[in-house]
Amino acid sequence: MRGWARFRRSKMGMIGAVMLLVAVVVAVFAPWLAPYDPYAPSSPTIEDIYAPPSGEHLLGTDDGGEDVLSGLIYGSRVSLIVGFSAATISLLIGGLIGLVAGFRGGRVGNLLMRITDFFLVIPDIALQIVIVAIVGQSLRNIILVIGVLGWTPTARLVRAQTLTVRERKFVLRARAVGGSDRYILRRHVLPQVLPLMLANTVLEISLAILAESTLAFIGLGDPTLISWGQMLNFAFTRGAVSAGAWWALIPPGLGIVWVVLGTTLLGNALEELLNPRLGRHFLEKEPPTQATPGTAPEQPELLLSIKDLKVTFEVGAAPVVAVDGVSLDVCRGEAMGLVGESGCGKTTTMLAALRLLPPGGAIAGGNIWFEGRDLAALRPNELRPMRWRQFSMVFQGAMNALNPVKTVGWQIAEAIRQHEPTVTADEAAARAGHLLETVGIGGDRAGDYPHEFSGGMRQRAMIALALACGPGLVVADEPTTALDVMIQAQIMDLLAALRAELGMSLVLITHDLGVVAESCDRAAVMYGGVVVEQGTIAEVFRDPQHPYTRLLLAAFPDIDQPDRPLASIPGTPPRLDEIPPGCRFAPRCPHAFERCHTERPPAYPLGPRREAACFLVERTWQGVTDG
Amino acid sequence: MRGRGLRAPPPISLMTRGSLFLRKIIWALITIFVVITFNFFLFRVLPGDPAKAGVKDPRLSPQAVAALQQRFGLDKPVLFNTQGGNLFDSQYFRYLGALAQGDLGTSYAYKSRPVTSMLGRALVNTLWLVLPAQILAIVLGVLLGLVAAWRRGTKLDVSALIFALFTWALPTFFLGILLLFVGSRYLGLPTGGRITIGADYASFWATAGDVLRHLLLPTLTFALVLLGEYMLIMRSSVVEVFSEDYILTAKAKGLTTFQIIRRHAFRNAMLPIVTLIALNLGFTVSGAIQVETVFSWPGLGKLTVDAVAQRDYPLLQGAFLMLAVSVVVANLVAELVYLRLDPRVTEV
Repeated sequence: MRGWARFRRSKMGMIGAVMLLVAVVVAVFAPWLAPYDPYAPSSPTIEDIYAPPSGEHLLGTDDGGEDVLSGLIYGSRVSLIVGFSAATISLLIGGLIGLVAGFRGGRVGNLLMRITDFFLVIPDIALQIVIVAIVGQSLRNIILVIGVLGWTPTARLVRAQTLTVRERKFVLRARAVGGSDRYILRRHVLPQVLPLMLANTVLEISLAILAESTLAFIGLGDPTLISWGQMLNFAFTRGAVSAGAWWALIPPGLGIVWVVLGTTLLGNALEELLNPRLGRHFLEKEPPTQATPGTAPEQPELLLSIKDLKVTFEVGAAPVVAVDGVSLDVCRGEAMGLVGESGCGKTTTMLAALRLLPPGGAIAGGNIWFEGRDLAALRPNELRPMRWRQFSMVFQGAMNALNPVKTVGWQIAEAIRQHEPTVTADEAAARAGHLLETVGIGGDRAGDYPHEFSGGMRQRAMIALALACGPGLVVADEPTTALDVMIQAQIMDLLAALRAELGMSLVLITHDLGVVAESCDRAAVMYGGVVVEQGTIAEVFRDPQHPYTRLLLAAFPDIDQPDRPLASIPGTPPRLDEIPPGCRFAPRCPHAFERCHTERPPAYPLGPRREAACFLVERTWQGVTDG
Repeated sequence: MRGRGLRAPPPISLMTRGSLFLRKIIWALITIFVVITFNFFLFRVLPGDPAKAGVKDPRLSPQAVAALQQRFGLDKPVLFNTQGGNLFDSQYFRYLGALAQGDLGTSYAYKSRPVTSMLGRALVNTLWLVLPAQILAIVLGVLLGLVAAWRRGTKLDVSALIFALFTWALPTFFLGILLLFVGSRYLGLPTGGRITIGADYASFWATAGDVLRHLLLPTLTFALVLLGEYMLIMRSSVVEVFSEDYILTAKAKGLTTFQIIRRHAFRNAMLPIVTLIALNLGFTVSGAIQVETVFSWPGLGKLTVDAVAQRDYPLLQGAFLMLAVSVVVANLVAELVYLRLDPRVTEV
């Protein structure tokens, strides 16, 4: 019933359903609704022909002196009968062929798809015209022709859906335990394919109605029945335009528009229900940021200083707080590891810091001091010249971070020329090649497209891209995830070497504590959208103060104590819309006491650039401040 | 590095790409052959056998029928001549042979006029109508779809969406009638045809002007009907591309929105449009039939409808073949364009 609740919220779908319902009611009750019987024999006089609307004939009369309103009401019957029956036939034929082609695959499936492709290029309407003209224009023939010829789109759709379902785990499992094809089709595949098939059928109804009216308009309707297309054909060919009889033309046309619009709206809403599209993108107008007024920190060694950053996301009605008061400092030439489980706000924090939040995300407070300017307060066009030149980012999953239809070298050269307009195309190309060589890719591969690179190469190409303009800060988001250990080590060594050579700062987002210990100067641990502990590598790894840090470390294998059993942290990080009132880690913390559940612990400074947000360290902190 | 530069040719070797081109062309040729055969049997298998219908006139004497049957080759077997003599002396192979010489028979209704020349003239007229309308619809649809996607959720986007839904639900012939009604009654535009009947223009330009006046409403009708769908597809395609990771990369690189669209989004977003244009060619035929009927434009569509009205089967058969082959050819062109646009395609 959740589907129904979601459908009711779709305005367009509801409008469509109501429109269609009205048409069905009119069609069913036509004899009671129509003021005249258009099928009754009549003997019109010359005054009856194309009589304008009057009290007697609300929509006037047509070329035969018949009441247009009655024709409009009765005409709905043919449209709906043809629409529903033809779409059902298309569904049955197309569904069956699509299912078999998708499920069986192999030679049978190929042959079926070749046939489908063939009929897809034959213009439907031409074939419909030829066949109806030859076999005769009865309602039955028209339904059959439209229905049978409408199977191709359904077959393609069902085949594609079946192909994806066929590879799902539950189908493979059913096959592995020896389920017969028929059983798997009926119990596992059909239920997955059917909803999409039905949504598609609703759209097929609108196509069938359009096809029927077109056939009727060009004189291939059933001559014994009144349909909207037929009414338009008669009125148009018998002088309604020159007579100015708009009332004989507009009502039947609007009748068609009504049912087609209704079914289209309904079908689209159903499809949207099954295949929700987010529909948001990266180029939407940014919401105004709410930077807190403040002054830049005085220390010249600070490159990036995030102060009390707050990030919200629109999810449904109320915004959700994804990052709640994060403060982080990165000095020049320093490498900081940002660690924590997935969903703790590491990436969101850094995307917000570089003003690259995805649509729906917004900076709701705080400052991002970078070289004396607050990035949170800058307008997009003030920010643009700083991007990539002063700070760049190695995005997670470099698979899709490079444009598939541009060469890798071009994409690197583009960044160079964007920020150094005096550089010629050739120079930029040469530098791009050199950068690729720096990350261990032959410069001659600069003309390759991303899909011609392996995953590791793409990751390294992304790093080369991030270094293109010699930025002061590089944020690398999981640069080694999903790569094998050898490549991981290569990439981390590369980053360390480049950092030493270029003197840039690095923020490394990862959940791999080993990588952080090896390649960073400092570490910050995040949990549930806040920083729970930070300090130098030695401090955080040797002397962890927050229970979460301790558990994270215990969950990580230690080469010095290979026999130590690995711990795991029961439970999962809190959902952003269900943040607990006190300490966010309290529900999973083995040391939590009453106060932890009601009061949020502040970040206690335990030394220079060393802090932990836990009530357990309050006493140590008092010791620090007293001493 | 220098020699190769960044404007290196597509990396997939010419051999594979070339053979892919070749395969597409061969597949199109096969499809055309199947269409030709299908067309032959369509007109013979269906009840009412139109080939015979032409010689079924009860006023004809049996001798005359026999003579006609012999003339049209209807006394021969359909597929293979197994009664001795030449195996290929059958209706099907005679049809293929005639077709190879561009002979599609003669029209029943327009006495003894060759179908091929009638179709040729009609095709030219149809192209005059379809091409400008398609170009107009594609250019406007792509631009409007792009802006609607970029300014997603704004009033502009919503009105574009509603407009597209309405044009989609509007039958082409009904929109044509509406425009004809307004244009002929209030704007003094012609009610149909290609040129004012009886007019004798002194110069070429005056004639051209008259033809253009006749073309205005049909082109507008056609363009409006196509526009909505192109716009919708472009919009959803652009929204999808704009939410790709590489767009975020481009933004992070410090490109302006305009640069991102021009360099990174446009080509990728156009790929579905190219597919749609190819898939929509059948729809174009349907549109041509309806628009030409409403505006009495002497193109392929009107010829088809007239052939149906007069049960002129040789003409109908020829028109069907022409329509189907045009769609196959246009489809091939669209696929080749797609290949040019997307370097990733290596498999059909």
